[in-house]
Amino acid sequence: MSKTAMLLAGAIGLLGSTVLASAEDVTLDVWTIDRESDPGYMYVMAQEFQKLHPEIKFNIKHVEFADWANDITRAVATGTAPDVAYVDNPNTPFLSSKGALLDISPYLKDSKIVDTTKIFPGPLSTVTWDGKIYGLPRGSNTIALYYNKDMFKAAGLDPDKPPQTWDQLYDTAKKLTDPAKNVYGLAFSANANEEGTFQFLPWIQSTGGNFDKVNGEGAVQALELWQKIIDEKLASPDTLIRGQYDSFATFNAGNAAMAISGPWELPRMSKDAKFDVGVTLLPIQKEGDARASALGEGNNVIFAKSKHPKEAFMYLEYMYSQMPRVWNEFGFVPSYPVEVKDPKWPSEYAVFIESMKYARARGPSPDWAKISKAISTAIQQALTHQADAQTALNTAQTTIDGIVKK
Amino acid sequence: MSALFRTLRDGHGFDATLALLALAYLLVFSAFPLIYNILMSFQEVDMFSLASLVRPFVGLANYKSLFASPDFWPVIWNTVVFVGLCIIFQLGIGFGLALFFQQDFPGGSFLRGLFLAAWIMPALVAGAVWKWIFAGDFGVLNYLLQSAGLINDKVFWLSNPQISLYSVVIANIWLGIPFNMILLSVGLVGIPKDMYEAAALDGANAWQRFWHMTLPMMRSTIGAVVSLGIIFTLQQFDLFASLTQGGPANASNVAQYWSWQLSFQIYDIASGSAVSCLMLGFVIVVAVIYVRSTRHEHRA
Repeated sequence: MSKTAMLLAGAIGLLGSTVLASAEDVTLDVWTIDRESDPGYMYVMAQEFQKLHPEIKFNIKHVEFADWANDITRAVATGTAPDVAYVDNPNTPFLSSKGALLDISPYLKDSKIVDTTKIFPGPLSTVTWDGKIYGLPRGSNTIALYYNKDMFKAAGLDPDKPPQTWDQLYDTAKKLTDPAKNVYGLAFSANANEEGTFQFLPWIQSTGGNFDKVNGEGAVQALELWQKIIDEKLASPDTLIRGQYDSFATFNAGNAAMAISGPWELPRMSKDAKFDVGVTLLPIQKEGDARASALGEGNNVIFAKSKHPKEAFMYLEYMYSQMPRVWNEFGFVPSYPVEVKDPKWPSEYAVFIESMKYARARGPSPDWAKISKAISTAIQQALTHQADAQTALNTAQTTIDGIVKK
Repeated sequence: MSALFRTLRDGHGFDATLALLALAYLLVFSAFPLIYNILMSFQEVDMFSLASLVRPFVGLANYKSLFASPDFWPVIWNTVVFVGLCIIFQLGIGFGLALFFQQDFPGGSFLRGLFLAAWIMPALVAGAVWKWIFAGDFGVLNYLLQSAGLINDKVFWLSNPQISLYSVVIANIWLGIPFNMILLSVGLVGIPKDMYEAAALDGANAWQRFWHMTLPMMRSTIGAVVSLGIIFTLQQFDLFASLTQGGPANASNVAQYWSWQLSFQIYDIASGSAVSCLMLGFVIVVAVIYVRSTRHEHRA
């Protein structure tokens, strides 16, 4: 018995000495959805930052995107949240409104690197809650219309005049659909989850609606257009169960003439697509309408319980300062105006930079997940003709009113 | 001290320790989560109050909002259809195969072993394979049916709301047949051969032997297989996750997947718990039937 006690005491002593030895070093716990293998934004950033600040060490944990919200909220609830983490932009208000994140406004006041007034309004709104700032965008993305120039030429269409309005989009999709060759006119995602909402929301926003006003005339017409595209098989019926990644694969393979997706597809596309590609802004209902696009990507945040907020903020500042590199190295669109030297895919870059000006955040709302579900449910009900577009969107509106106005 | 060690090493203490370990395991890993789940279904829960037991008590409000949800009855009906069809076909085909492999023929036992492949395969992998088979535009099944001239237009197995649930049913039947077959085979082996010989001598034909001997002798086995089948089918989650995600428009959503969606997609954990409590109640009924059917076995 006494032997055990001695061993135990020894172990505690050993533990104590290790703690003492590393007292001057700071270790930041970091969670990310990036992978350690290429390109791994968070891993690259941490390594570079550590070279500048050898006294700050990193303990980076990879979390699968699908498990992220689940794991992080559990960590917050049990007090084991990391110091720094990446948060998808629609989820950020959920955490900041619950007090899980550190209000970095006091640090920002003294920062020589970050000027939040420069950040584009879309990404800025996702880190703002109640007038305070809870994170910094690491980069953004947005969606646009990709099209296969070779197919345009083959169908006698001008490859430099991609569709700009909904009618043109419909007509072009119709002309390019060729069941005999297994070619659909358009590929997009109307999935029953966040991706469906992500793709549909800009259509609502460009006609004057938003996440809290989804049953306006324009929104209904947009959904009816989607319905028509699916009913006439101008897009695969599997659009209802396919995410953006799988939908875009059909475009790369030449089985869809146009596709709606974001810049994250560019690396894969330049490998897989054996044809000339053009990119244009998301079509609007009619010339002169307001433009809108979805805002993707996310933010770097510090958790409220972090024991090293000062070091964590220095790290956030460093990542923020690397914005001019994110397009070429990681495929994000910069979240504040920067000069990108020799951008890869220059013409696509120009379109996405332009599109960024119109990118609007989803929400922001702490109950985004429920709002998103209401919208994607409406999309699915209309596309499967369980309800007409107006009824489906009215139902969604009632649900959303119940969430937003409580 | 040493007396305590002695009884622990050799004696009643040892027996008690083993029993207590098992009991502690059950309490920690089965009873606690179950009770925690039941508790949550009567409380207001969000992701941040998950770790504390003390939360606002809301009575039956979670259940009321669940019953009021427009998704509730369609999901329950889908669950009934899913479980019903899966059990009927798994049992039917499994029984048929078990009887088939009961016959002596060269390579019989080897082939029966091969059938286990489906059972060994993780449901998520099976889901990925079936997704290729069912894919609308470039799926294997559509290709076969079209080349055989059976259909002209592609069938969208997973994205057509009229069909998607049945596609998952087909995949799950395939997944569950080996389990049914093996358990039923074991039951068949337990029936004494000489009974059949005696019956054959008395002039009973194959059908009569099956109906009046095999089936009654298999009663408890079938009871057990059906109960376990219902429990396993209600557990089937991976196929839904990999094939349809309950879609399109909830057309293939079932209670177990819905519960997960409520809890972990829209963070309505209280409603998710309420759904799983309802399922729990049903499974307890099934478990009682299972226990009774095996008790019958012991008496016999």
